[in-house]
Amino acid sequence: MAVASPSPSDHFARLGLPRTYAVDRDALEAAYLERARASHPDRFVGASSGEHRAAMERSAALNEGYRVLRDPVRRAEYLCALRGVDVDSSDPKTGAPAMDQAFLMEMIERREEIEQARGAGADALEQLRARVDDELDEALDEAVVQLEQERVAEAARALVRRRYLQRIVDEIDQHLEP
Amino acid sequence: MGNDDQTWADPGALFQIEEPTAPSRRSGRTPGRGIGIDLGTTHSLVALAPRGEAPRELPDAEGRALLPSVVSYAGADVVVGWGAMGQRVEAPERVLSSVKRFMGRGAAEIDFEHPYRVVEPGEGGSGVMRFDVGEGRRVTPVEVSAEILRVLAARAEAELGEPVAGAVITVPAYFDDAQRQATKDAGRIAGLTVYRLLAEPTAAALAYGLDRGGQGLFAVYDLGGGTFDISILRLRDGVFQVLATGGDSALGGDDFDRALAAHLLAAAGVDAPDPRQREEARVEARRAKEALTDAERCVVTLGRSGLSEHVLTTEALEGILEPIARRTLGPCRLALKDAGVRAQELDGVVLVGGSTRVPLVRRLVESTFKQPPLADIDPDKVVAYGAAVQADILSGSEREGVTLLDVVPLSLGLETMGGIVEKIIPRNATIPIGARQVFTNYSEKQTGLVVHVVQGERELASDCRSLARFELKGLPRLPPSMARIEVTFQLDADALLTVTARELMTGVKQTVEVKPTHGLSEAEVDALVMDSLEHAQDDFDARNLAEARVELGRVVLAVRTAVQEVGDLPGLLPAPEREAIEAELRRADAAMGPEGPQEHRAINAVREQLERVSEGFARRRMERALRSGMSGKSLSEIESALADEADLEARRGSHDPEMTTP
Repeated sequence: MAVASPSPSDHFARLGLPRTYAVDRDALEAAYLERARASHPDRFVGASSGEHRAAMERSAALNEGYRVLRDPVRRAEYLCALRGVDVDSSDPKTGAPAMDQAFLMEMIERREEIEQARGAGADALEQLRARVDDELDEALDEAVVQLEQERVAEAARALVRRRYLQRIVDEIDQHLEP
Repeated sequence: MGNDDQTWADPGALFQIEEPTAPSRRSGRTPGRGIGIDLGTTHSLVALAPRGEAPRELPDAEGRALLPSVVSYAGADVVVGWGAMGQRVEAPERVLSSVKRFMGRGAAEIDFEHPYRVVEPGEGGSGVMRFDVGEGRRVTPVEVSAEILRVLAARAEAELGEPVAGAVITVPAYFDDAQRQATKDAGRIAGLTVYRLLAEPTAAALAYGLDRGGQGLFAVYDLGGGTFDISILRLRDGVFQVLATGGDSALGGDDFDRALAAHLLAAAGVDAPDPRQREEARVEARRAKEALTDAERCVVTLGRSGLSEHVLTTEALEGILEPIARRTLGPCRLALKDAGVRAQELDGVVLVGGSTRVPLVRRLVESTFKQPPLADIDPDKVVAYGAAVQADILSGSEREGVTLLDVVPLSLGLETMGGIVEKIIPRNATIPIGARQVFTNYSEKQTGLVVHVVQGERELASDCRSLARFELKGLPRLPPSMARIEVTFQLDADALLTVTARELMTGVKQTVEVKPTHGLSEAEVDALVMDSLEHAQDDFDARNLAEARVELGRVVLAVRTAVQEVGDLPGLLPAPEREAIEAELRRADAAMGPEGPQEHRAINAVREQLERVSEGFARRRMERALRSGMSGKSLSEIESALADEADLEARRGSHDPEMTTP
């Protein structure tokens, strides 16, 4: 009698990939498609409800893993979480690090920058957007370097900074595409 | 607030598995007996692709494959299809068409024109709207759709000569949870086991993709009668993956007809048309639109409105249609962006839906996607073809299939403080998928949490579709911000939602089955299923008869094989008993032949008798199998012998209730 193997506990293991930031896109695609084929609930029509449920849960975990790992930002955030800092949580010990006063002041000033750019027209907004875009990339690069050196708190800080910047870009986009 | 329709169930289960409660007791995987149904706004269609065959649509007795999605309650009997259409001009408010636009909707959400009398849900009832079709009769959109499905299922059953085992029913990719649930309920009420709800564009891509073999990026542009869908799909390594989907669930060819009808009525100088004038204008508008697909000009006459010999040119028509057709282009560009695909990278653009025959639509598609669209499979049939192929795979046929990975079309979220939506599952996430979010309490007195589930892209809950609202009760008293309430969303492969909530401090877990605010309750669906059972006694007799024959055939085969294999061994089968068994086997053969009884109870009685007569033989075989285990037989031989016997026992056991009930 076959005993189901316990499901792997993290997305990297689930997709048979090493737990590192650098992910080979082709390997990720191939691993995902192969597993998605094997575990899709459509393969279990007419099977017992237990088997069907197991397939559904396996597929759900796999789809979530693929969604996280193929996105560079989510992947970095996930690696942080695996190492003990979850930027989605507000827990004082294991959650997103608190940002200092100077940073929050800076973000308020950035907001004001948007208002000024709006006043100056679409070109000014586009320029501002391009600048913040570069900063987004820098913040992610910083997080990746810190992760590689196992400095999780610093990596998390860079990722939180990146989230604030992302909100600024989203706001600019709203003004650009009415 | 009332909590009557919420269900607290099986705290261990993340997914609520719906067991098929439909009449077909033994349906499920029966190779070659799966059917594909395109339940369209204006037309519906059923197709078969049994055991790996190419898909084919099933026509009615007059050879017409398309069944108008029109149901008439004007007379004593419910009439579906062409017959119903004929009654529409005379009784427009009792002949229901384009009912798909009402699926899963509340009366307050119907913001388009229609000629029907819509009844608000009454006190205490579920939130589903009903049509008043006269003489005190009120029907829900789900029941109307079930009538259409029933006709198509009967068509398939006649073609197969056997009961249908299961169906794949297509839905617009853009359908939300409530609309999908309504469609699945309609299938159940029609007596079908719904294998899967499949997105229409995915079905169309499946029909094309398999033809073209292999790899590629496809866009599917589906402009049906009442809905518009755009999907970007990728086929790779045997997996059809929806990368992005979008559209508008209240935009379609009907809008073309309505705009043109309004233009014609204006030309006739009619400001306030009565229902018959409006109906006539709409029929003539559709005729003119179709005529202008090939011709430069046509002549329209509205007898009831005093418009005679009105000349309509292609140019004038396109002037009227273009603003509507252009509304499809925004969703196209958004889908490309969501998929991260440039138009030039596409390997093909597939056209689906009768409205894509309009030349103006083809030109707009070509300029948006920068390539001429594919239309070599009939755009009216391509969706049903794809559904039939998938139904064949799901019925268990050996067929080279692809795995279809669909996505959820609209983000799912919860309303938080200030009416802001917190997104839990983003749009275009591949399904099935789960996601969770932790909430906390704001005061020690708080022992409950209102959970309002919404679907949509807007920031404010009031701008999104309200799917369900329920209250979690019995939370422990904890200081502010100390409670940890984890809310988990689970979407199954049909994009239907289950919500689980768990208080993490105490570990108390509650599963809440989300019933759409504007859907039928489980009890109502069950009642309608029972109702359909009574009305479909003939179908069930035929189904029971077919099943009884299959069962008898299995028992005959098992007994005959046993007699041939071990009947000659000493002491196992005495001659008189063998004669009795063989006599019963001959009776069974006769019962299954063309002269045999046409009634399932008679067939079951024959099987019962055969099982009784061969019971001693079966027991001795079992004993022998056990003895041979002790005298050095291999374990696998014993197991296989025991398994055979257990199988026979189980089958015998399962028949007992039928034998004792006359």
